[in-house]
Amino acid sequence: MSVVQNTGEKKNWYLPGIFTGLGITMKHLFYNLLNRKKMITLDYPEQKYEYSPRFKGNHILTVKKDGSLRCTACMLCATNCPAECIKITAAEHEDPSVEKYPISYEIDMLRCVFCGFCEEACPVDAIRLGPEWQTPGLSGTNFIYDIQKLAYRPQLKGGILTHVDDEERHKAGI
Amino acid sequence: MPKCTINGKEVEVKEGSTIMEAYYQTGEAIAHYCYHPGLSVAGVCRLCICEIEGNPRPQIACNTVVTEGMKINNKSEKIKDGVKWVLDFHLINHPLDCPICDQAGECGLQDQYMEFGKYNPEMSERKVKKHKVVDLGPRVVLDSERCILCSRCTRFTEEVTKTNELGLFNRGDRTEIGVVEGKQLDNNYSMNTVDICPVGALTSKDFRFRQRVWYLKDADTICTGCSTGCNTKVYFNKEGIFRIKPRYNPDVNGHWMTDTGRDAYKFVNREARLLRAQKHTGSGWTELAPGQAAKDVSADLKSAAGDSLALVLTAQYTLEEYEAIIPAFINEFKTKKIYFWINNKESFDDFDGLLARGDKNPNTKGLLRVMEKHGLSGSWSDLEAGLNSGAIKTVVVAGPENQFVFPDMNEKIKLLSKAKKLVWMQSGKNEALNALSGDVTLIPMKSYIEKEGTYVNFKGLEQKVKRVTTVVSEALTLTEATMLMAGRNLTIPTTKELFVESNRREDEVMLEHRKKNEFVFRRGSL
Ligand code: SF4
Ligand code: SF4
Ligand code: SF4
Ligand code: FES
Repeated sequence: MSVVQNTGEKKNWYLPGIFTGLGITMKHLFYNLLNRKKMITLDYPEQKYEYSPRFKGNHILTVKKDGSLRCTACMLCATNCPAECIKITAAEHEDPSVEKYPISYEIDMLRCVFCGFCEEACPVDAIRLGPEWQTPGLSGTNFIYDIQKLAYRPQLKGGILTHVDDEERHKAGI
Repeated sequence: MPKCTINGKEVEVKEGSTIMEAYYQTGEAIAHYCYHPGLSVAGVCRLCICEIEGNPRPQIACNTVVTEGMKINNKSEKIKDGVKWVLDFHLINHPLDCPICDQAGECGLQDQYMEFGKYNPEMSERKVKKHKVVDLGPRVVLDSERCILCSRCTRFTEEVTKTNELGLFNRGDRTEIGVVEGKQLDNNYSMNTVDICPVGALTSKDFRFRQRVWYLKDADTICTGCSTGCNTKVYFNKEGIFRIKPRYNPDVNGHWMTDTGRDAYKFVNREARLLRAQKHTGSGWTELAPGQAAKDVSADLKSAAGDSLALVLTAQYTLEEYEAIIPAFINEFKTKKIYFWINNKESFDDFDGLLARGDKNPNTKGLLRVMEKHGLSGSWSDLEAGLNSGAIKTVVVAGPENQFVFPDMNEKIKLLSKAKKLVWMQSGKNEALNALSGDVTLIPMKSYIEKEGTYVNFKGLEQKVKRVTTVVSEALTLTEATMLMAGRNLTIPTTKELFVESNRREDEVMLEHRKKNEFVFRRGSL
């Protein structure tokens, strides 16, 4: 790493920045002291902040119409994941039109950085980042999410339907 | 010897060579699917088009013979455009299965599309549906929709194995590869069709869905499945070894290898291995570190030195290891009772006419050479007699690495366990060994993937292999075990030994665009 040494007059150029910053802090301090009703502090956990529905929280594996997983175990999400926290084991499906499916799909939530790269890599809309974000757990293993948790946890009410339907695609001759 | 110019470079080629061969000779890139240097020319994929000066239309390189002074070029815009639209035709009915296709990552269609394609498809008709997941035989699965009908696989069964199982059926865009009714693709070379298939139409059942290819690294080694010593590439990552493919060597195996040789990774992976040394004392088995176990037997061997000590060797180790253990036994343990355990005597000289040999050891010639050099000629019956009469009390065995090719394993264990003290060195687990009682020590050995050394094949060709990866880090090589047993310490590797040349092919990332994506391809290590 190289460090740029400021010499001479330039050395004092940080002072305006500091005073501007302090000014903003002071402005907010006095504003909030005088208008306590308008303060935006939340009394968490009694009060909660509503994030936008597009918030990138815990992962969801989508399902097909028959309730089975949409994921084809292509491992593109695992390849693209910068935190290397997705582990998939693929297997042969007995239905030849499905061919490949994951028998195990695990995400280590504690390593995940919620970047959403997995969602972007997925060719079949099988993984999404959902809006949930408050998911405490009592031990490390609670944070390794398996298929049961990723696709069928109670909050998802039986699973989220995928946009990509193979049968329709086959019918359309694509 | 006609001279021609390939993309501005002048080359001299053999009389009667095709333009494709000239391209191979110069190392210039040329797109192609159906041409394979080990097969006849079919000229069906039309991807290898190039421009010849004075000829108004593009010609295919694989089926045009070079004539004196030809000026050939495949870098022009016209050719690039041509290849692009030929590729479009190949992809008209392609199912775009890449997410579930094992070939993704090393697929000819993907490679050429990234190089020449990148067009917007203009086909609005419905795609032709064909059969998927067709079971061709015990080792190969076919997906007809992915097939580009290059006919490499049919030419392989026709010309190389001469078994003719595969054929092209139907016509036009409904053409499919298939097996003749009542037949199966079950010859011992069937997996070569998987290698030469440029797309994901033929995939191997053994490797199916186990890894994406971009998670695997490859390194060169040789096959220890039989005494031919085919040159191979192993594909591995930190979870183990996943598959073996042949590597071109005109002196040994050409382009091919056997299906049995492709199983030579199964006994290397951790599940099959002896991980720690085991020692049977009066009460039962205790585990200990391999190095410690070898040191422990050293005192016993020293006291047993002389004619009551015997060494049994299998031909599955490297020349260097034999050079270490045989002199050590002769000079330090003062015994000449060194025997060669021949596994399948009856079929030892079999040969199937192509590659597979009955002698299922990689280094029979090497072992015999070293034994001859030290004047050893003990026959197996001497050992049997010695064990039965009780003259041989201590036996050290360098057991087989690949136990599948030792049908007499249990029988030999029974015989050798007659000795009062048995030291068995081997890389793999074995039930029968663990069922033994008495004074037995099992020491884990390194497999051929994990050590450097020389193997001598059936015709006396010495082939050096480099270390590929480590599976069981504690295991010893026969040389290390010998040093410890002889009471010496292991030498600390000097800097020179530590920084051995890397066993990585220079052209590992072959195509230009892959070079650009190298970071992505190498990174995956899940
Ligand atoms: S959000 Fe990012 S870090 Fe988390 S699993 Fe997906 S790709 Fe990996
Ligand atoms: S979630 Fe999507 S990207 Fe990941 S393995 Fe499944 S299909 Fe592939
Ligand atoms: S199966 Fe593969 S090798 Fe055989 S014709 Fe089709 S693409 Fe070519
Ligand atoms: S390689 Fe020349 S036509 Fe296929």
